[in-house]
Amino acid sequence: MPNKVLCSHCHLKFDESVMIKEVNSYLSKESSAPHSVTHYFCCKGCQGVFHLLNEEGLESFYEKSGNIELTPPSENFEDALNFDSQSFYDRFVKTDSDGFSEVSLIIEGIHCSACVWLNEKALHKMDGVVEANINFTSNKATIVWADDIVKLSSIIEKIRSIGYNAFAYDALAQETHANRERKSYYLKMAVAIFASMNIMWIAVAQYAGYFSGISQDVKTILNIAEGILATPVLFYSGWIFFRGAYYGLKTKVVNMDLLVATGASLTYLYSIYITVLEYGEAYFDSVSMIITFVLIGKFLEVLSKKSIADTLDVITKSIPTEVKIVKDGTIVTCKLDDVNVGDSVVVSSGEKILLDGEIIKGDGSFDESTLTGESEPVYKSVGANVVSGTVSIDADIHYRATKDFKHSTLSNIVSLLEAAISKKPKIQQMANRLSEYFSSAILALSFITFLVWWFWPHSFETSFMIGISVIIIACPCALALATPVATLVGLSLGASRGILFKEAAQLETMAKADTLVLDKTGTITVGKPEVIKEHIYEEFDKKLLYSLVKSSNHPVAHGIFEYIKIQDENIDDIVFDEFSQVSGQGIKAKYGNKELLGGNKKLLDENGIVVDYLSEETLFYLVIDKKIVALYELADTIKDSAKELVRSLNKRAIDIIMLTGDNATVAKKVAVEIGIKKFIYEQTPLSKAEYISELHAKNKTVVMVGDGVNDILALARADIGIVMGSGSDIAVEVGDVVLLDDSLKSLEDAFKISRTTFGLIKQNLFISLAYNAITIPLAMAGYVIPLVAAISMSVSSLLVVGNSMRIRYKWKKE
Amino acid sequence: MDSWVIAMMLGASIFLGAVALFAFLWAIKNGQFDDEEKFLNATKFDGEDELNDAVKQEQKKEALKKIIDQSN
Repeated sequence: MPNKVLCSHCHLKFDESVMIKEVNSYLSKESSAPHSVTHYFCCKGCQGVFHLLNEEGLESFYEKSGNIELTPPSENFEDALNFDSQSFYDRFVKTDSDGFSEVSLIIEGIHCSACVWLNEKALHKMDGVVEANINFTSNKATIVWADDIVKLSSIIEKIRSIGYNAFAYDALAQETHANRERKSYYLKMAVAIFASMNIMWIAVAQYAGYFSGISQDVKTILNIAEGILATPVLFYSGWIFFRGAYYGLKTKVVNMDLLVATGASLTYLYSIYITVLEYGEAYFDSVSMIITFVLIGKFLEVLSKKSIADTLDVITKSIPTEVKIVKDGTIVTCKLDDVNVGDSVVVSSGEKILLDGEIIKGDGSFDESTLTGESEPVYKSVGANVVSGTVSIDADIHYRATKDFKHSTLSNIVSLLEAAISKKPKIQQMANRLSEYFSSAILALSFITFLVWWFWPHSFETSFMIGISVIIIACPCALALATPVATLVGLSLGASRGILFKEAAQLETMAKADTLVLDKTGTITVGKPEVIKEHIYEEFDKKLLYSLVKSSNHPVAHGIFEYIKIQDENIDDIVFDEFSQVSGQGIKAKYGNKELLGGNKKLLDENGIVVDYLSEETLFYLVIDKKIVALYELADTIKDSAKELVRSLNKRAIDIIMLTGDNATVAKKVAVEIGIKKFIYEQTPLSKAEYISELHAKNKTVVMVGDGVNDILALARADIGIVMGSGSDIAVEVGDVVLLDDSLKSLEDAFKISRTTFGLIKQNLFISLAYNAITIPLAMAGYVIPLVAAISMSVSSLLVVGNSMRIRYKWKKE
Repeated sequence: MDSWVIAMMLGASIFLGAVALFAFLWAIKNGQFDDEEKFLNATKFDGEDELNDAVKQEQKKEALKKIIDQSN
């Protein structure tokens, strides 16, 4: 039994035999006998880091990190000197007001808070580093240093030397802006909540005095205290409402901000007037309560907004900026924009093709799923056209560019995508529309009340007070909270089921959707071929087939590999004497005196073996010594619950349309099987997006579900783009909703949740409006005393929050 | 009870509260709550060494600032 030991640095377990063993003996102070400690290391890298930390006096890292497993340090890095280049500095390094340089990095390899500690500590020990601040949650670091004393390359090398790696990233203006906005909300809310809570307990004394009597000078003191507390709430925390009202008026819109701003400031001025006059009731508590509640509602909205710029950034970043071209017989790196038509571009296996062109040397298979959505690789040789955006799987080729980058398919798609994302249709939210009417109505009613009372005739003061009481009682708090609280419930319901809505407003849009467009491969179907039938003509050793398909990365081979694995978990590998892959055909191998062939009909034809089996499915033949011994039929299987989804959505009167890049027969088969009436086949990424636009032209609200790069244009154009969590990174970034478990059951849930949430929004709005319908007439009649105003404000808000919690509880129980 | 007692008590308590509020605002602005994980873990790594380190870092910054100012 091999003895497994822990690596002293990374804490990963390996056999003792493969570890680097090191015995350190040193004399301890207490005893005279030499004391020895044995360390094991899994690699040179770990050993190096371990000694470095000990030399630098940072060994307490191991104590702090406990038994957390780390990634062994890598030894292959790009040259750190690249970090000192002028182009890097221009792009990533900023100079702050003190003359220090500042860069934002992403640190790779952070596992625990001890890692953060170690990195910060190690950097702080460097000469010239002023500040190193690493965010544990996001692994993003801000490093400030004096460029005269230490170069960025040495800082990066330091990070690498202790077993981590660093990448520069653009701390986008957008990101810092969003953070700053959030922070400013925190500050404003802290002030508002602090002041409101203090006003509250002073108000208790006021109300008690209202009923049991209170001397005027005590009342004045309380008023002054409240006034002092309410001032920062109105002018600091409430500033955004003044700003919002101003911009609203500029575009001639009466918005909720205007109602809040006028209501709060009129009440504030009136209360000061009362305090000075030493007569009547001041309403400072209402001022701070309105601002605080509405501010919280606004903050909830800000929290759940995604930034368009971040999405665009991810898309453009996924495209490399440089390509290799052949110039005067040598291969040189060249900026993508500088490649001319006719240049010969070099692509190795695994690389992305960035320009459209024609192969002039080499051959191999290409992954064209970005364009077609189908995972089947396509074999191409000299003379064939390659399209930008596709990926070379195993081909090392040279191709002649037939278009420059600006006119290539890839850059075309990117610009279309950018346009689609930045012009995403926004359905106006119900609450916004409602608050517009509501605000105008309340302001008008309050003014009318004032006029009527004044001409009745009453004193200016009384009429003014009653006019204002209408605004105060028509508390917009409940209205402002109605939508954010409901969407928050929706978001959390989704999150607990693996459905991520990226923006709160999408819940409402999705609830209004009437058309669902589904991609076939990867969405309705699993997207990978699976064995559906096995014909064995002659007994053979399964190990041979297992090893044969294991060594190929073709999806068909992979499907068979999975199939055998399920039948026999402990199957062993064998090593072939000879092995080769034939692109677009299959695999050839030799084992002992046996000659193996595995692949499609083409491979058999080439080798002179006659087959006469016909099937609609993909076929894989296994031939041993020129004899067909087994035949596998593979097909892309339909996901569970696809039928239920179609049935339940049909009940909800949602049109379902299937789009696919596949041919008519396959499309029809799938559509019929799950009960979709409408399907469109042989679609390209562009035509899918066009189709979405056509639906828009018919005034449809469209939800598009997809998973691959070929769907992103359509996803971006749709009102709601839903992406499978296993889909490509860009698709996940572009989508509005992500289904983490890839299942169609989640899709159904997403519809349910969005509709429930929208229902909840409606209920909440109804509650707050109904409340106003009762209290406003009372206020207009002059029956409102300050206590009633304050209580009604809290009760209506509590009702809205309580109602939302009720729905959440109901769902939780299911 | 004279009303000035109430005034004084109100003033004192609001002042004390305001001091705490300003400390909190300062901490938010300073980015101390930006990273919740780190903020919670900070207690584990707090000690004399960390304090010394922070002071040294502060001194280093001042020293570097001077060098930069001179070179400009």
